[in-house]
Amino acid sequence: MAMTLTEINRAEVLQYLGWRGSEIPPEVNAQLDGCLQETLTLASPRVVWRLLPVLPGGLRVGDDIQALLSESTQCVLIAATLGNALETAIRRAQVRGLTRALMLDCCGSAAIESVCDAAEAEIRAAVGEGKHLTDRFSPGYGDLPLSVQPLLLDILDAPRRIGLTLTPTGIMTPRKSVTAILGIADTPQPRRFRGCAYCSMFENCAYRKAGKSCGK
Amino acid sequence: MENKITYLDGAMGTMLQKGGLQPGHCPEALCLTDPDCVAAIHRAYIGAGSRIAYANTFGANRYKLAETGYSVAQLIPAAVACARAACAGTDARVALDVGPVGQLLEPYGTLPFEEAYDIYREVMEAGAAAGADLIAIETMTDLYEVKAAVLAAKEHTTLPVFVTMTFEENGRTFTGCTVEAMAAVLEGLGVDAVGMNCSLGPRELYPIAERLCAVTDLPIIVKANAGLPDPATGAYSITADEFAAEMVRFAALGVAYMGGCCGTDPDFIAKIVEKTQNITIPARTTTRKSVVCTPTNVVTIDGVRIIGERINPTGKKRFRQALMENDLDYILAQAVEQADAGAHILDVNVGLPGIDEPEMMVRVVKAIQSVTDLPLQLDSSDPAAMEAGLRVVSGKAIINSVNGEQAVLDRILPLAKKYGAAVVGLAMDAGGIPPTAEGRFAIAERILSEALKHGIRKEDVFIDCLTLTVSAEQDKAVETLKAMQMVRDRLGLHCVLGVSNISFGLPARGKITAGFLTLAMAHGLDLPIINPSAQSVMDAILVYNVLYHVDKGAAAYIAANAGETSSAAPAAAPGAAHDLPYAVAKGLGADARRLTRALLDAGTSENDLINGELIPALDAVGTRFEKGEIFLPQLINAAGAAQEAFDVIKAAIADKGAPPVSKGKLIVATVKGDIHDIGKNIVKTILENYGYTVLDLGRDVPPETIVETAVREDVRLIGLSALMTTTLGSMRQTIEALRASGHACKIWVGGAVLTPDYARQIGADYYARDAKESVDIAREVLG
Repeated sequence: MAMTLTEINRAEVLQYLGWRGSEIPPEVNAQLDGCLQETLTLASPRVVWRLLPVLPGGLRVGDDIQALLSESTQCVLIAATLGNALETAIRRAQVRGLTRALMLDCCGSAAIESVCDAAEAEIRAAVGEGKHLTDRFSPGYGDLPLSVQPLLLDILDAPRRIGLTLTPTGIMTPRKSVTAILGIADTPQPRRFRGCAYCSMFENCAYRKAGKSCGK
Repeated sequence: MENKITYLDGAMGTMLQKGGLQPGHCPEALCLTDPDCVAAIHRAYIGAGSRIAYANTFGANRYKLAETGYSVAQLIPAAVACARAACAGTDARVALDVGPVGQLLEPYGTLPFEEAYDIYREVMEAGAAAGADLIAIETMTDLYEVKAAVLAAKEHTTLPVFVTMTFEENGRTFTGCTVEAMAAVLEGLGVDAVGMNCSLGPRELYPIAERLCAVTDLPIIVKANAGLPDPATGAYSITADEFAAEMVRFAALGVAYMGGCCGTDPDFIAKIVEKTQNITIPARTTTRKSVVCTPTNVVTIDGVRIIGERINPTGKKRFRQALMENDLDYILAQAVEQADAGAHILDVNVGLPGIDEPEMMVRVVKAIQSVTDLPLQLDSSDPAAMEAGLRVVSGKAIINSVNGEQAVLDRILPLAKKYGAAVVGLAMDAGGIPPTAEGRFAIAERILSEALKHGIRKEDVFIDCLTLTVSAEQDKAVETLKAMQMVRDRLGLHCVLGVSNISFGLPARGKITAGFLTLAMAHGLDLPIINPSAQSVMDAILVYNVLYHVDKGAAAYIAANAGETSSAAPAAAPGAAHDLPYAVAKGLGADARRLTRALLDAGTSENDLINGELIPALDAVGTRFEKGEIFLPQLINAAGAAQEAFDVIKAAIADKGAPPVSKGKLIVATVKGDIHDIGKNIVKTILENYGYTVLDLGRDVPPETIVETAVREDVRLIGLSALMTTTLGSMRQTIEALRASGHACKIWVGGAVLTPDYARQIGADYYARDAKESVDIAREVLG
C-alpha cells in the first residue's frame, strides 16, 4: 500500500552522518536541507502488514522473538520500502560528488524508520483501544537471524505487494527497506529491545563508540 | 483478429491457498505431488469459460526452486500436463506462465541481465518442449527483466508471447516503468499481446488500460485483482458481480483478453463471461508517434530533442585515456553532466582501436543506465558492438547508424527489427556523400523503403542529411538544409544531425554552430547531436522554441534568462578563499582550482604543491575529523576540493609530458553479493587525494576479478568492504582466493559490521575504521 511521507527526523540523519555536536557550517546545513527535501520527493513509501493469530513456526527462531511475544495474543508482520527512485538518485549523486550521495543515503535510512512509525500508528488504530504493541523487532536483531527473511517476505507476499525482494546474499532491494515483527498484548509492553545490546551492529556501532545511541 | 473477447483464467495461488497451501511452500510442486488438485482448478476455470489456462509454472525457475529440491525440468512438464489434461475435449489452450525471477536485476539488485536471460531460457525451452501453446510472462515490475524473458522466449521457442506488468495507481510499476514505456519496448520486441495484471482492482486499473490503449495497437490483456486487499487480513474487497460489472467498461475500450488475478476464482470468470460475451469489441485507433525511452522516461519526438554528443572518444584525449584505463567514472560524469545540462538522449560511442568494443559497449551502456534515465543512441560501425549494446540496453534505443549501402542495410536493419530500436539512416552510400540535396534525399528514400521491408515502422526511421565543414565546402551547407526540408516534408521523417562539424576550422566556432543550428531546426532538424553544455547552442534552441510557438508564453526562455542561471561549480564569491589549505578545508572546489593554477603559474613545482600544500591541508582536515570538530560531510567536501586541485596538477604534468605522479597503486572493491558502496567510494576519493592510484573495481565484485586484477596490475595493497553480516563470507572467500593465488599483497578491510577481531579471523592484514585509517594503512604499506 502506498503511503505519504511528510517529514524526516533531521536529528536522526545527523546521527547517521556521524555528527557529534560540532558546529555545522551554513553551507553544509543547506546541503542537508536540500537532501531532506529531495528524499521526501523521491521516496515512494509502500507498506504491507498482516495481522496473524500466532507467529508462524518458521519465524519463531531464537529466544529474543519469543521473549518479545511472551505476553502477546496476536502478532503483526510488517515490510516497508522507499522504492527504487531514491536508489537511482543516490547512485547518480555519487557521480557528481559523494557528500550529497552520503546525505541522501542517511536521509533514506531515517525516512524508512518514519515510514515504519507511520505503519505502526496505522496498526495501532486497526487493533483498537485496550491493545498494546510491543517494540518492532527485525531479522538481524538479537538472535533472530537474517535467514528468516525469505519466509517473512513470502508470508507478506512482499515482492508482489510492495516490490521488495532479496538478493541471494539476503540484502533487501530496494536497499532502503525494513521488515519487522511486533506483538499485540492486552497489557502495556516494556520497551525491551530498543537497546544497543540487542543490535547486531553492537560490536562496531559508531554511535555507541561515541557514547550515543541510534534509538529514540 | 477476432473481435470477441478471449477469456483467460483467474488466480491460481488464491485457489491453492484455499486448498491448504502454506506460505514458504512451493506452489508449483503440487503439479507433481497433487496433480489432480491442480488439474481440478484448471478444469473449474475452463468450465467457467476460460479459453487459455495458465499452467502452474509462475515461479518454476531455477532461482526460486533452488531450495525446494525440485528442478525446472521436473515441474514444468508436470504443470503443463495438468493444464493439458484439463483442456482435453475443449478448445482451451495452455499458456506457460512465467513470473519474475525472484530477485532484482542490476542496477537495482545484483542479478546480471545475462543471467536473468539464461534463467528464462531454461524455462522457455522446458515450456516449449512440454507442449505449451503460448507463453504468458506476467506480474512483472521491471521492464529490463521482461526484455530478458522475451528475448529468451523469442530466441528459443516459436510460441506467441503475452506480457503483462503490474502497475500502481500512478501508472508506473514498482521500479518506475510507465505504461507507455512498456508499450514502446514490447511492440519493438515483437510480443503478441500486452497488458496488466495484479496489484489493483478493475476500477483502479481502468485509467491505466485507457492509457495503454492510446499508445499501442497490440491486443490488450487485463487481469485485475479482486479489488484491494485488507491490510490486516489480506482478504480482497470486491465480489464477482462487482468485478464483472467493471470489466464491461474494459470491453468498450477494446480489451481483447480478460481474466482475473489475486482473489479471483472461477465464479469471477463465469460472471465476466456472462456480462461480456455478447459484446463485440471495438477496433482501436492509435496515433503513432516517434518515441524512444528507458523504462522510466519516455521521450516523444514531437519537438526538438537534444542528443548529447560527448560520450565519444573522437578527438578527445582525456576520453580515450578513460576508455583505455577502464575509467568508467569519467564516462559516467560525462553522462550525468549532459543530463543535467538538458540532453534528452545520449549518444554512446566507445570505438577506439585496441579495445574490445562489444565488451566496452556493454559495460558503458549498463553503467550509464545505472545513473541516468535518458534513452541511448548507440553509435558504432562495428555490428558486433551494436548488437551487444542493443541486447543490454534497457528501453528503446536508437541505432546510429545505417547508410544507403545495401550490405550495411542488410546487416543492421535486422538488428533494429529484432531489438525494437529506432534507426538513423545516413544520407550517403558507397559513393560517398552526394553533393546535392536531391542526391541525399534519394538515399533517404531508399533507406526508408528498406526499413519498411524489414518491418520497421516509419516513425522509427530518422535521417541524417550530414553536415560538411563550411570552411572547406562553403556551398554545401545549404544543400544539407534543403535535404532536411525534403526529408521532413516529403517523407515525413525526423532529422538527426551532428551539428558542430559545420564550424570546424573557423574562429569562434560557437557562433557558426549556433547559427547553423537555428537554420537547421527551421528546415526540419529535430534531433540535433550537440554538446548540451555549450551555452550558445542551448540558447539557439530556446530561441527557436519561442519563435516557433513551442515554448508557450516563452516560459522556458524567461525562466532560463531570469538573472543568474545556476552552474555546477559554486562561483567564486567576493569573500573567496585566499590560500589553498583554507579552500580545501572549506570544500571550495572552484577556489581550489583557481589557487592551484595561480601557484603553478608562480612557479611552485607540482611536487611541492602536493606535499607542501595539499597533503598537509588534508591531514589537518583529517585531524579535525578525528577530534569530532567536523563531521563526515565536511571531510568529503574537503576531499572533493582537493580532488579539483589534483585535477589541475595532473593536467599540468600531462602537458609537460611527464609521467603521472603516484605514490603507489591499490585496489578497492565491495565484495561479491554486497551492493553498499558509498563507504568504499569515500575511501577511494580520500586515497586519491593523497596521491595513490586507486583501481576501483566497483561493487558486487567476484573474488576472481579481484585476484586477476591484483596479479595483472601487480597491486600490493587491496582494500575490501562489506556492510552486511551475510556478505562477510564472501570477504573471507576473497581473502582466501588472494592468499591461494600466491600473489604477495597486504589486505585491509572495512565496513559497518566488521571488527578488528573479525578482520584478523578472516585473514586480513589490517582493519580500518574509516577513510582516515585507510590512509594510514596505505602510508605504512606503500609509503
